[in-house]
Amino acid sequence: MADSLAPACTPLKQEYDSCFNLWFEGYLEPTLANATETSRKAHYARKAEEFEAKCGKVYKEYQACLQGAVKERGIEPMLQQAREEHPLKEAPPLLPKEKK
Amino acid sequence: MHFFSQDYTLSHPWSHVVIGMWHKYPNAKCTHVISVDVVDRSVDPKTGIIRTERILGCKQKAPGWIVKVFGGSEDAFVREISFVDPARQTVDITSINLSLAQFATCLERIQYTPAPDNRTTFAQTAEIQARFTAWRTAADGLERWLVQRFEQNAQLGKLGFTDVLRALEQRQTAATSAA
Repeated sequence: MADSLAPACTPLKQEYDSCFNLWFEGYLEPTLANATETSRKAHYARKAEEFEAKCGKVYKEYQACLQGAVKERGIEPMLQQAREEHPLKEAPPLLPKEKK
Repeated sequence: MHFFSQDYTLSHPWSHVVIGMWHKYPNAKCTHVISVDVVDRSVDPKTGIIRTERILGCKQKAPGWIVKVFGGSEDAFVREISFVDPARQTVDITSINLSLAQFATCLERIQYTPAPDNRTTFAQTAEIQARFTAWRTAADGLERWLVQRFEQNAQLGKLGFTDVLRALEQRQTAATSAA
């Protein structure tokens, strides 16, 4: 697992990554098998809740640690500007398929 | 502006590729990426779409003059926003440089979509664009500074030379009256 940009936050970051990865592996597989829309939606809602319950606490700790470093390293203003320029709150349209 | 694009097929099913993307770093072949941090993540309980915003720290091997001229440091940061859509089976990743973004932007997009025979299509595009207004501002600033320095130095040069000439004149006058 990759390190955090702030060495002091690496243990929390890796704990969070492990939590997410474990959760994520169980997210995709049954989703693909669940064909009906109703059961799929129920699955997403349940998994979103589960993610928060399992990884929410360590995520908050990790973010609290990271925020100081983001300020210290001068990343914050760059990030703010990038977010204003490209909010990317939703996925951009699909790339056109290249003709072979 | 420069465009770049490439497509290829990975011999792994889509779900494996998507799991793999969270395990890409550290990578012996991409040692320039030295840190990866999640700064924002949400799971939409209705659509199932996972949006993740990350900051990748890179050791850039920029030519020395770029670092000197643009005042960058050895560390460069990239912002990456990904969308994993389990229902549509698409992954969309956009990456933009944070460092030196006032001078040029490199916007990369990657998509992973399922391909026949349990394979995955990888599609990548990139746009590299210099910001001419920023260059203009920087160039104008440099020009103003150079003009100011030149004017100051020209003025000082004039004063300095006048002093030298006056001293020379005084010495000559003294020599003449002594003779």
